Amino acid sequence: MNYIKGLKCKECNREFPISPVHVCEFCFGPLEVVYEYGEIKKVLTREKIKQRSKSMWRYQELLPLGGDPTVGINVGFTPLIKAEGLAKALGVKELYIKNDAVNCPTLSFKDRVVSVAVSKAKEFGFDVVACASTGNLANSVAALSAAGGLKSYIFIPYDLEQGKILGTLIYGTNLIGIKGSYDEVNRLCSEIAENYRWAFVNINLRPFYSEGSKTFGFEIAEQLGWEVPRHVVVPMAGGSLITKIWKGFKEFEEIGILEKVDTKIYGAQASGANPIVSAFKKGMDWIKPQRPHTIAKSLAIGNPADGYYALKTIRGSGGWAEDVSDLEIVESMKLLANTEGIFTETAGGVTVGATKKLIEQGIIPRDESILISITGNGLKTQEVIQDRVGRPLIIEAKLSDFEEIVQPKHQEGRRVQATL
Amino acid sequence: MEVHVRIPTPLKKITGEQDIVKAEGKTVGEVIRWLTTTYPGLRERLQDEKGELRRFINIYVNDEDIRFIRNLETPLKEGDRISIIPAIAGGSSLRRKVTLYFPPERIREPVIYNIGHRFSLVTNIRSANVSEKVGWVTLEIDGEEGEYRKALNYLNEIGVKVEPVEKGVIE
Repeated sequence: MNYIKGLKCKECNREFPISPVHVCEFCFGPLEVVYEYGEIKKVLTREKIKQRSKSMWRYQELLPLGGDPTVGINVGFTPLIKAEGLAKALGVKELYIKNDAVNCPTLSFKDRVVSVAVSKAKEFGFDVVACASTGNLANSVAALSAAGGLKSYIFIPYDLEQGKILGTLIYGTNLIGIKGSYDEVNRLCSEIAENYRWAFVNINLRPFYSEGSKTFGFEIAEQLGWEVPRHVVVPMAGGSLITKIWKGFKEFEEIGILEKVDTKIYGAQASGANPIVSAFKKGMDWIKPQRPHTIAKSLAIGNPADGYYALKTIRGSGGWAEDVSDLEIVESMKLLANTEGIFTETAGGVTVGATKKLIEQGIIPRDESILISITGNGLKTQEVIQDRVGRPLIIEAKLSDFEEIVQPKHQEGRRVQATL
Repeated sequence: MEVHVRIPTPLKKITGEQDIVKAEGKTVGEVIRWLTTTYPGLRERLQDEKGELRRFINIYVNDEDIRFIRNLETPLKEGDRISIIPAIAGGSSLRRKVTLYFPPERIREPVIYNIGHRFSLVTNIRSANVSEKVGWVTLEIDGEEGEYRKALNYLNEIGVKVEPVEKGVIE
């Protein structure tokens, strides 16, 4: 049983049957999945959702599969925590973190979109799954297509972080490093997608793939007791996630699971790859492509596919957009780790840093609820903190060494006299 | 003024399977008007109900995105090449295009010759303005990334400022 009506062009509204296509053949606009909301409203309730297993598939009626998922059935339902330490550091009253740094199996929010895409690829009868990636998507496509018994071809900029390269190769995929930026990788993949019958998760399967991100929004609402935060900050690369979190909230409103959505949504980018923030600040409604240069490689997209819709979402909700420097990214990664015990990757540093800036500028008020979206894990981008977090003190295994070298520095606690 | 317009595959049916159409106009806007008058079927594909160019259609004049020039007001010269490219489709590849800004003391040096001579790179001058006091040259550079990086280091050492010319990368 499914509730999919078909595909529809986001620009000219022409409708198309469900198939692995992503561009309107008439006006070249992107296609989107349309659902039978009236029918979903009758079957999907808070009570029903609560009885289901703790994964993103508890909202299955709002996802674009023809039947049950065949890949990634445990993905999602990651922790949402009240972040009191970080709230204190930022001087705000009510702060939450949605933590996809511990999403399974590959430690980023991309497992949500890929489990939808690979399940859909199997429905369509594809043998080969492929993607253009800045790293997290590579990990996820390699892992989930291995689990689903499909071959995979993964295209990345050749100079990605080691963690992301090894964390892709381990799954026995075909990994191709392209001498160029992500935008060049993506363009090459569009050409390959036209000539080979492969399921490119973020190209020809994009309308289905991107729907997986809505579950990030659904979970936020459910985990906050069927309410949405007043302010939500989201990192932006291609700009899809921010539009889908918003769409998730609005769908819950549409089918009556949420009463009212009065969230303002904020987009965060690195200053070295900020085409969306830059367009927002200049009041433009089109995106000027850039050549990215930032340590936040997972966000280093100069020509974001959903940039226009990201802008529209931010403006429509009354939110704002902000960017942060590479230095601020690392400082913010440390701040989150020091206050909340969460080790996020550079993209998380971008989101925390932008939140901090938006609060300091008075754009996000200090006395309303705020949620920060953490989308990836710090173990994958260790290079950037290499020389920024200090070094271990190395000593001999002798108490005297400890007392002479460690204690004078730290003075934690007092020496107690051993008693017999 | 005659210009050459490259028609993307999905629209070739409307132009009688022609890849390249010879069109008339002094600006990009005039060429679009010429095209939609000559091939009325093109109008609804290129423009929305309000007559605005559709959001996912990109237009290039000699490989430069018109949004970085003067949009529909972009003036044309005899023989200019115009490409109509759907934003999301694959297609024309990105060559490196950069502008070099020369400090006055370097204007007399054969810097561009040196780039081609010392590194395995092919340069093609697209536009330039050099006088006694200022100099800039816009170049297309083809070659391996490693060679290109070396050339950038060389330019950096001799004080020539390099700025990428941002052409629309196509997704």
